[in-house]
Amino acid sequence: MSATDIAIVATAQTPSVRRSICSEVQLLIPAVSRALDAIGVDRGEVGFTCAGSCDYLTGGPFAFVTNLEATRAWPPIAESHVEMDGAWALYEAWVRLHHGDIDLALVMGSGKSSPSRPAEVWPQQLDPYYLAPLGLDPVSYAGLQARALLASGKATERDFAEVVARSRRSAQDNPNAQERGDFDADALLAEPYYASPLRRHDLPPISDGASVVVLARGDRARDLVGRPAWIRGLDHRLDPHQPGMRDLTTSASTTLAARKAGYDGGPLDAAEISAIFSPQELILTESLGLPDGTVINPSGGPLCANPIMSTGLVRIIEAAERIMSGNAARTLAHATNGQGLQHNLVCLLEGD
Amino acid sequence: MSLEPDRDRMSDLVSLTYIEELTPNLERFADALMAGRLVGEQCPTCRRIYLPGKGYCPMDVTLTTEADVVEIKDTGFVSGYTIITPVQYYGQQETEPFVLASIALDGADNSIVQQRIIGISHDAVHNGLRVQARWRPRHDRNVDGLSNRGGTGLDGVIFGFQPTGEPDEPAAKCRERIF
Repeated sequence: MSATDIAIVATAQTPSVRRSICSEVQLLIPAVSRALDAIGVDRGEVGFTCAGSCDYLTGGPFAFVTNLEATRAWPPIAESHVEMDGAWALYEAWVRLHHGDIDLALVMGSGKSSPSRPAEVWPQQLDPYYLAPLGLDPVSYAGLQARALLASGKATERDFAEVVARSRRSAQDNPNAQERGDFDADALLAEPYYASPLRRHDLPPISDGASVVVLARGDRARDLVGRPAWIRGLDHRLDPHQPGMRDLTTSASTTLAARKAGYDGGPLDAAEISAIFSPQELILTESLGLPDGTVINPSGGPLCANPIMSTGLVRIIEAAERIMSGNAARTLAHATNGQGLQHNLVCLLEGD
Repeated sequence: MSLEPDRDRMSDLVSLTYIEELTPNLERFADALMAGRLVGEQCPTCRRIYLPGKGYCPMDVTLTTEADVVEIKDTGFVSGYTIITPVQYYGQQETEPFVLASIALDGADNSIVQQRIIGISHDAVHNGLRVQARWRPRHDRNVDGLSNRGGTGLDGVIFGFQPTGEPDEPAAKCRERIF
């Protein structure tokens, strides 16, 4: 088999909400059922499961183990977990499928940001000597990045506002989105700063949510669905951890991941990218090399729904669903981990 | 050169705040505890009974609802135990040895873990010992220890489990009840 012989055959996601009364595993159970039921597959047929989540979000040590109960983990199953966005769980499952001995894999991404305070939790992922003690939270980090982008002359605050206005308009058609509506860039620019140069709408909402993907190999994929979304390329790359050691106005790791995934800047029917803060869309568009006029984040993107640990997998789901429904021939999805676009994954999808 | 704490050392104590609502299944469990009752959930598919209910059956992944709530007696038997001699680490509140036991409640298919055994000397605790919960007075109950992160929260509503004087359960009944 070839590396292009693995496809997304089923997807499911919960609506993104500010605060869910369900636990993560309770969010995952119906999502897993929905994805598998859509292709008539029983949980017992899955050869490998990989999940992405972060126990710091709900403060539950080993919560990721409980999440496995959504898969029916008894008798014991073959599984793995990444303390990363579900997009990286998909990456591991994709690698596992390359072994060639199984033909179905289940991927989960889940996160509840509502019980904790993101500004407290996320500095803990930074290096413990120089950055974590400063309490450098995601909004401040994104603010530094936005400031650098403005100073470079590559973008203006109006560009940021236009990203937000377009994203929220697109989200009007997305039942899973949390923020949506018809907003005018001028009105957005009249809003006060939240963390200069960012306004509140330049930030993503705080979200709870979960998502699920089923991957299948070769003929099994063709048997299960009429139009699988074939993974033509998948790669992830890292920039240095220290923000002072890289140019925050660009994303070298995104460019490298895109090239390694086989994306050369050609035409796409849509790109779903993890621009968590509005200025990041401008950085990613350039770093990915998206052609002018590319439809970006038709779902509304992370600015309208940001269930952390699921956000990147949702990008892949949105890109795959367009192909599976026949509305697109070639789409690209991008996921990010870390702060300020430090770690980036690119997935190139095509229909037959 | 010697280290001077104020000059050469910096403290960075990490504190994370979590505020959560109990999931609906635990909300029902908490209400019952405050009323002096134990409730579990029975899986509509396999009929297994869990206490507390999880909102689903992990064995066949069936969701459970309020309709699946069942009353559970506050009697059962010790299915495993540990005698703990507390080490005086930072934050330790125990000073004397104590027993934590797994209890197989009559009618529940899971055991509840880390329960206090009271009214009996440590060397007399053994697997199969029949016990019953000794409830705290109503005005002295709380469910502060109950969270979505696990545990039963029973500490706040009962003093512990004490022997009933009934004959022991046979050892074979403990075999599938390690936890």
